[in-house]
Amino acid sequence: MSFRARMMIPLLVVFVAAIGYPLISSFVLSLTNYRITRRDETKFVAFAQYQDVLQDHAYWSALAVTGTFIVFAVVLELSIGLMIALALQNQRRFRDFSRSFLLSPMFVTPIAVGLMFRFLLNQQLGAIPAILEKVGITYDFFGPGRAIYSMVVIDVWQWTPFMVLLLLAGLESLSKQPFEAAKVDGASPFYTFRRVTVPMLAPILTVAVLIRSLDASKVFEYVYAITRGGPGTETQTIQYFTYQTGIQFFRLGKASAMSYLLLIMVISLVILLFKRIEKARLVS
Amino acid sequence: MTRSKITIRKHFEPWHLAGNTLLVGAFIAVAAPFLWVFLGSFKTGTQLNNPTLILFSPNLANWTHVLETGILQAAFRSVIVGLITVSIAIIVGSMGAYSISRYKTGGSTARFGILTAQVLPPAILVFPFLDLAYRMRVNGTLVSVVAAHISLVLPVVTWFLIGFFDAAPKEVEEQALVDGLDRFAAFRKVVLPQVAPGIGASAIFGFVISWNDLFYALILSPGNSATLPVRIAGFNTFRGVELGAMCAAILVSVIPVLIASFFIQRRLVQGISGGAVKF
Repeated sequence: MSFRARMMIPLLVVFVAAIGYPLISSFVLSLTNYRITRRDETKFVAFAQYQDVLQDHAYWSALAVTGTFIVFAVVLELSIGLMIALALQNQRRFRDFSRSFLLSPMFVTPIAVGLMFRFLLNQQLGAIPAILEKVGITYDFFGPGRAIYSMVVIDVWQWTPFMVLLLLAGLESLSKQPFEAAKVDGASPFYTFRRVTVPMLAPILTVAVLIRSLDASKVFEYVYAITRGGPGTETQTIQYFTYQTGIQFFRLGKASAMSYLLLIMVISLVILLFKRIEKARLVS
Repeated sequence: MTRSKITIRKHFEPWHLAGNTLLVGAFIAVAAPFLWVFLGSFKTGTQLNNPTLILFSPNLANWTHVLETGILQAAFRSVIVGLITVSIAIIVGSMGAYSISRYKTGGSTARFGILTAQVLPPAILVFPFLDLAYRMRVNGTLVSVVAAHISLVLPVVTWFLIGFFDAAPKEVEEQALVDGLDRFAAFRKVVLPQVAPGIGASAIFGFVISWNDLFYALILSPGNSATLPVRIAGFNTFRGVELGAMCAAILVSVIPVLIASFFIQRRLVQGISGGAVKF
């Protein structure tokens, strides 16, 4: 056997065992009415589960909730993250300290972040509502119509550092010459930012948005820690809904069909996006 | 000479001020929740009902209570799961990534497959893991959690490593082959040390992913061998007494990571700009 094959085989074996097998097995599950409590009654039902899911109003509503969450969270994280990355790059003193500290939220386990904010934003016991009350504002962070935006705030707190990390790495790998040229030509910092920094950073901005969006689509911990989908189903994200279907109601067949549909949607979106990027590259 | 210096300074001062103001704001936003929970962990039940109380005599009851619940054992289990997961992912991933990068093994299919694996919704893999764990009678143990975490960490780590191998110069390795080392020895003794910072960054990244995971661990091992995130989720209650304990439990998971992040931050920035972020 050739050297390259011998190097590749362990990866291939583990990959197939840990990802290939469950992926296929999950597809098989999605074609049955498997329930973990009634394993003997398992029957092949073809695409009935898929039909069921597609007609389920709650599934579409969960997709909409997740979509809203992703858009608000990623847009905020990108804009704040870019500003912080630029500020960090230009910082002269205490660089190491401020970088480590500002990046730290992304290393904290999300369930701890969720519980921390559940407490911090709680109406009776939290510091922030108490402070707001002192200036005469009463605001229930997890009330109807608001809870999902509070989730966005939590996500922004935890994951803007990840944006900062990617963008800072990107900024530091850019070549210095165009910036010096702009300086010599007397371009204003804002002009330089718009005409030099952003275009040069574009590939990394795209990657950062893509990674964060995919990650945000998996939001689970904050919902599990704080609202459990409520009020009503306002914060019932797709990941939490699938968890409930599979684990609380034991319907593994249906939950698998739900995940497969999600996968198909996500992959189509990613492929579409890549085609767009390729086109843009060819045009320029 | 002096003139041009002055114009540049004029240009940049307000931006620097704005930047530093932003950083101070961000600093407060990051620090405040940590500090608040830190204070909370030393408060008694009644003091917790007063959210803006800052000066009080600290009480250690919450901490002793939390340490008695076996949270340190849970943290230890999380470390073990993370270390096993990352070791397997790095060993298998670095060999495969080298083969893919250097010899174009599997061509674009291999690269695309690894990329796609990172897109998989976790819910798609977890139910087969659960089902299999039931059949093999390892449900509720860490074996299934490690297997699930490998599926989570391996694609990311391999993807990072391909980038690092792509970026590494080939001359030294070719020289080593000419000097008579066999290919595997050249890989082990010459190539790996070259990408050591990249391996370090990938390992840390993989460990953090495993350490932070709640979804898989909650479903696959909710009981006696729960990992730290699952244990912390167990403090999800709003009785006044438990609230202080919850604060202490949160800090048990926060403090080690906070300390670690001080050491790895520079390496991560270097690692990522060294080639991990590209498509």
